[in-house]
Amino acid sequence: MRRADTRTLDANEAVADVAYRLSEVIAIYPITPASPMGEHADAWAADERPNVWGAFPQVIEMQSEGGAAGAVHGSLQAGALTTTFTASQGLLLMLPNLHKIAGELTPFCMHVAARTIATHALSIFGDHSDVMAARNTGMALLCSNNAQEAHDFAAIGHSVTLRSRIPVLHFFDGFRTSHEISKIVVLADEDLRQLIKEESITAFRSRALNPEQPTIRGSAQNPDVFFQSREAVEPFYAAFPKLLKEVFSEFAQLTGREYKLFDYIGVPDAMDVIVQMGSGAECTQETVEYLNAQDRKVGLIKVRLFRPFSLVDFLSVLPPNVKRLTILDRTKEAGSSGEPLFQEIASALVMALSAGKIANMPKLFSGRYGLGSKEFTPAMVKAIFENMTSPQAKLRFTVGIHDDISHSSLNYDPNFTIEHKGLTQCLFYGLGSDGTVSANKSSIKIIGEETSLFAQGHFEYDSKKSGSTTVSHLRFGPKPIHATYRITKADFIAIHDAEFFEKRDVLSAVKPGCTVLVNTASPPDTFFSSLPSPDRKKLIENNCRLFIINANAVAEQAGLGRRISTVMQVCFFRLAGVLPFEEAMEHIKNFILKTWGKRGSEVVRRNLAALHGALEALQEIPLPKEVGTERLRRTSIAANAPAFIQNVTQLLLEGRGDDLPVSAFPVDGSWPTGTSKFEKRALAPEIPVWQSDLCVQCNYCAMICPHAAIQTKVFDKTELAGAPENFLNVPVSFEDSLADKLFTVQIAPEDCTGCGLCIEVCPARDRKAPKRKALVAEPLALHREKQARHWEFFTHIQSANLASLPIDRRTAVLREPLFEFSGACAGCGETPYIRLLTQLFGDHLLIANATGCSSIYGGNLPTTPYTVNREGHGPAWANSLFEDNAEFGLGMRIALETREKSARWLLQQMADRLPQALLAKLNDSGNGHEWAALRRTALKELRDILLKDTSPQSQELLKQIDALAPKTVWLIGGDGWAYDIGYGGLDHVLASQKNINILVLDTEVYSNTGGQASKATPLGASAKFATAGKSSRKKDLGLLAMSYGHVYVAQVALQSHSKQTVQAFLEAASYPGPSLIIAHSPCIAHGYDLVKSPGQQKKAVASGMWPLYRFNPQNIDKGESALVLDSNAPAIDVAEYMENEARFKMVQLRSPERYNILLEAARDAIKQRRSLYEQLAQIHLPPERHHG
Amino acid sequence: MANLTTDWLGLQLKNPLVLAASPVSKDIEFTAAAVEAGAAAVIMHSLFEEQLIHEQMGAHYFIDTRLDLDAEARSLMPESDLFPVDGEHYIYMLKKIKQRVRVPVIASLNGATPGGWTSYAAKLQEAGADALELNLYDVITSKDISSALVEERQIAIIESVVKQLQIPVTVKLSPFYSSLPGFVAKVEKTGAAGIAVFNRFFQPDISPDELNVDRTLHLSSSQELPLRLHALALLSTQTNLSLACTGGIHSGMDAAKAVLAGAHALQVASAVLQRGPQAVRDILHELDLWLDKMNYAHVADARGVLNLHSAPDPHAWERLNYAKMLAGWQLRKVF
Repeated sequence: MRRADTRTLDANEAVADVAYRLSEVIAIYPITPASPMGEHADAWAADERPNVWGAFPQVIEMQSEGGAAGAVHGSLQAGALTTTFTASQGLLLMLPNLHKIAGELTPFCMHVAARTIATHALSIFGDHSDVMAARNTGMALLCSNNAQEAHDFAAIGHSVTLRSRIPVLHFFDGFRTSHEISKIVVLADEDLRQLIKEESITAFRSRALNPEQPTIRGSAQNPDVFFQSREAVEPFYAAFPKLLKEVFSEFAQLTGREYKLFDYIGVPDAMDVIVQMGSGAECTQETVEYLNAQDRKVGLIKVRLFRPFSLVDFLSVLPPNVKRLTILDRTKEAGSSGEPLFQEIASALVMALSAGKIANMPKLFSGRYGLGSKEFTPAMVKAIFENMTSPQAKLRFTVGIHDDISHSSLNYDPNFTIEHKGLTQCLFYGLGSDGTVSANKSSIKIIGEETSLFAQGHFEYDSKKSGSTTVSHLRFGPKPIHATYRITKADFIAIHDAEFFEKRDVLSAVKPGCTVLVNTASPPDTFFSSLPSPDRKKLIENNCRLFIINANAVAEQAGLGRRISTVMQVCFFRLAGVLPFEEAMEHIKNFILKTWGKRGSEVVRRNLAALHGALEALQEIPLPKEVGTERLRRTSIAANAPAFIQNVTQLLLEGRGDDLPVSAFPVDGSWPTGTSKFEKRALAPEIPVWQSDLCVQCNYCAMICPHAAIQTKVFDKTELAGAPENFLNVPVSFEDSLADKLFTVQIAPEDCTGCGLCIEVCPARDRKAPKRKALVAEPLALHREKQARHWEFFTHIQSANLASLPIDRRTAVLREPLFEFSGACAGCGETPYIRLLTQLFGDHLLIANATGCSSIYGGNLPTTPYTVNREGHGPAWANSLFEDNAEFGLGMRIALETREKSARWLLQQMADRLPQALLAKLNDSGNGHEWAALRRTALKELRDILLKDTSPQSQELLKQIDALAPKTVWLIGGDGWAYDIGYGGLDHVLASQKNINILVLDTEVYSNTGGQASKATPLGASAKFATAGKSSRKKDLGLLAMSYGHVYVAQVALQSHSKQTVQAFLEAASYPGPSLIIAHSPCIAHGYDLVKSPGQQKKAVASGMWPLYRFNPQNIDKGESALVLDSNAPAIDVAEYMENEARFKMVQLRSPERYNILLEAARDAIKQRRSLYEQLAQIHLPPERHHG
Repeated sequence: MANLTTDWLGLQLKNPLVLAASPVSKDIEFTAAAVEAGAAAVIMHSLFEEQLIHEQMGAHYFIDTRLDLDAEARSLMPESDLFPVDGEHYIYMLKKIKQRVRVPVIASLNGATPGGWTSYAAKLQEAGADALELNLYDVITSKDISSALVEERQIAIIESVVKQLQIPVTVKLSPFYSSLPGFVAKVEKTGAAGIAVFNRFFQPDISPDELNVDRTLHLSSSQELPLRLHALALLSTQTNLSLACTGGIHSGMDAAKAVLAGAHALQVASAVLQRGPQAVRDILHELDLWLDKMNYAHVADARGVLNLHSAPDPHAWERLNYAKMLAGWQLRKVF
């Protein structure tokens, strides 16, 4: 055994570290929670880190997991040691290739951060539903339960697959294991080399396709031979367990860490035993050890190797006295007689009984737990053991939820916990943007790597992209930590924003003597009394020590803006007592120097200033004896909110969703729309305040707002009745025909994220004090209550009828948005397009939404932004998958067409009994609110007639009348979908000639999973998997679509050229065939302050990087060119655009030479593209004579 | 053909024409072409203290601190070893230019606080700069800061930089000193080797229609030369420092005037930005023709011929002349 090298990292990094060092080719595609494995591999490859044989692995990002699996298969056939990483839907896309790879007995080890498969809803969190869907592929399924095991099993997997020829799917729990940081012993290159037998590599390579000794694989076999031929693999499966044991044994000799196919934990004479795999077994192990200490005869069998299942080895660890076995599955197979692990164990035991290998069959129980990363705690384990011996035992059960519908769930005592001597447990509530998680990661690294203590960090995030909440759970102690669940009794609680006291029970885990640290701007003398009284009570009753710091002020003073992480980290080390303080300070200083020294001296200086400032500003608040006046948390949900919002959404917002029973939920995943307005997040420190005397009524503010938090309205004077005091409005001045109407700009103060875009684009200035625009940023606190009242009134004002006005960029935004207050990033460049879409067509809109940012801010709980107008109409929205959105939307369109056709046939049958005027209205095709309103009126008229008509046709038409209701189908998705994973489908749908509208929100990068390059990434930009700067040109999706000749195509840029955007949306909607709009969407992944996005987008257009155009095939029939260029020839050098974004700047900081080369290439690409477009815009084609 | 060789800052130049600090040096090939056209030295574009800090904090913010924002995006940018944003890119460019051209390369530092300055200066010397130009440009916007304090601070900065370096240091000044010769005397005491007059001070314009301040920087023209000529004429009699004229040299005649006023080096930038490297060739050619015409065998023979001491009418440089000129102009106007 060599000297152990320890590091503190998460399982994703621990696994990638081994997989990279043992591979030659890595083909991947990003998917949560496995993306970091690919990203680490890519970063190492970019920095030319060699594998254990001194070669440099090649990492390639594919267009989908299906593509990655195909590349893997090919690479293996050509003899390269190959790996991949994936999860969930990604694994499903790989399944066909996995069958092939296994059928061909190809050595290959892949790594899966196990994640829920989307069913009634998507979940990015962990369970085994993905892995279990792969259990018939023939892959060996190897499960690790923590970061150390994941690191070890990665090596073991790569070793055993080469020896056995059976490919290995190594998996570990998504998030709980993949993202949990802990201290592990790292395998040395030498260890890895020893584990891999040289001859097994030679044998693998000798089987590679090779024209020197040609063979063919993948033949097609007939009924005469397929079966026998398939059975030929059987000896390899039979040999696998033995070979794995051999590797385990060698591994133990090398490292001292022993593993078995099945590991038994507990007393030898256990009578009640749990069988389990994954991180939950860690918690079960803890509980078993605790119960054994209390003389309970219980045990645990950890399943390491699920497939090929080794009955002999299973029986060898089964305690001889076992009477009852509970098999726990972290997945649900609806309609099955038992979940997969249960079925495997049950059938194995039946075989054992039949074969006489066991005398008696233990009583079997089957339990489901932990779906979608649901908590799994010692209390639940205890309940499972109790269930086995209970007279009312449930043979099949769930645990961890309250199932009040099927009554499957076990009751458990939520207060039961296991004491850990010497363990320090710390909880942190932070904001996604304040750096809490990153700082905690560095604290764990400091403690893990600088002391002999064991450390564990687990992080919970919500899914908002602005103002998200993070909860960090940090544990430190002298013994290895197996607690795979949240902290419920904390020694230290840090609340990084005092607002959390009003949102959730942040002190629920407080224990006697707990230290509580709060970041607040409140003065010390009033802070305690400002808290809700239940919190005051808890602090006093538990003899807590309370400390406060104005971290924002310290950070601001140090020049770090709102980045309070260094400040709070120093306070943590000062108060938590994990390390002697001076020592901790040294470590933090070293960390700052090591991590940020590479950026520059000023960065270091400011962080050190924050460190010193923190110590001075930290102060203890002595607790009074009395709790003081009673005051409950300010609830964010209005008292008049619908019952569902009060009963369900409210709990989700408070972080108490776990308490909701099964009956609280719709059975099929349907969810009410219009819920975001009930979540008053009040994120903006400053909000825009309208200066009505300056406003020029341009409406740019409402057009650009990513959150529909600033809106404009034109209304009749009579609407002002009952207006709150000082509700501002001015006469309409932008349109003569509305001169008698009023105009107002209203801010939703609690929904604004404070991005500042509205102020940025406001063109109006005070002639006497030009600093004052028609929108001025002022502190939320000063305006919150008043503006909230004004907003409430504003929402009830009836808009003037604008039907007579042409729709343009100004009038479009006067219409009611039906997409509001999403969780998108402050300054998001995508959401204004969606908001505009709902303003134009929202009341008759069906949306098919590809997975990605737009499906997350569009459909992630707790609250969602699509909403309804006062008539109750609004967008109906669904997300199918990432890869299939075009097909999904096409399906919607076809269904609507078919249903409409059928209804129209009936209508035709009744034509002579219906008024001609009505028929004309029903046959009038179109789009937009006015058209939809007319159609609805006509349908009402029709319904009234049909109700009086008892003929069978009439009755049938009545049933189908909904098919005649106004509907338009739009497909929304990002560039990852449209350019990469969904391109095949998109192409097919474009080819279909169906009347379908496609909006591509092009951020030029996979935004949702964290900035991986897509084929939309522009030449010269750095992105993950294109670290050195992308050298190929951005795919010209628009040009490809134009080549069909029947597709309407537009390229738009709303933030700077909204007039053309509105024009394109209207044209696309009225175009009878497929239309494609490619929308420039500024994104935080571009690396600049998004408040500058209008100017930056202007540069993108002016430099030719983002040409604006509309291609309308209908022009051809008019004798015009189909392509109309809406932007001029490049007027500025593209460098002026590129130098403002970190994604381009990084390339220069990495290699100025390469930057210059790419810059030149970008200039050339722009010139060529412009030239091509100019020529296309001159082309006049003869009209088509036969349409259809 | 006159002898054009010039000693400036102790550097032996083949002629007095030097590329002034400007965006020219950001393009290595353009710089090389200007040298090819005759430029005797290159002063690099300025390394701005504020820009360094801005870029560092920008990189820190956009790369280091946008981590762990939500459950899916662990980070938004790839991890990679980057150059620190601590002047490293400037040093890289300096080295590249040094490799590309065979004339002295002078680094230029622009800042206003004593902080990071000196350490950057040492790095630039280490990277091979033949001299350093300090651009002292303070924009004082507060009534609480006295001119004495500003000068004291500037002298302290120069001192600290000069003390650290072995290479010569030249100081580029703005025209606004109560006593320019007095301040230059103080500069001379610090051990600096030269003075350049003047920097093209920041003069933002106003956009009346947009009610905004327009920050576009305009190129110089020959109209700016007289201010420099006046300063050179005064200084060349009172200091042993190398004198450079910068701002307003667009032709050989402009160059000749600067030499006559006392300049050792003639810095050009706007002319090159406008007309390309050919401007260097043209100015040198015209200067040469003029020297020949005037029978100056060496450019040094013409230097300072019209300074405060040597001019046929030294009063022309003094205050009295100002009054006369104005009066004359008014008289003409009246009649």
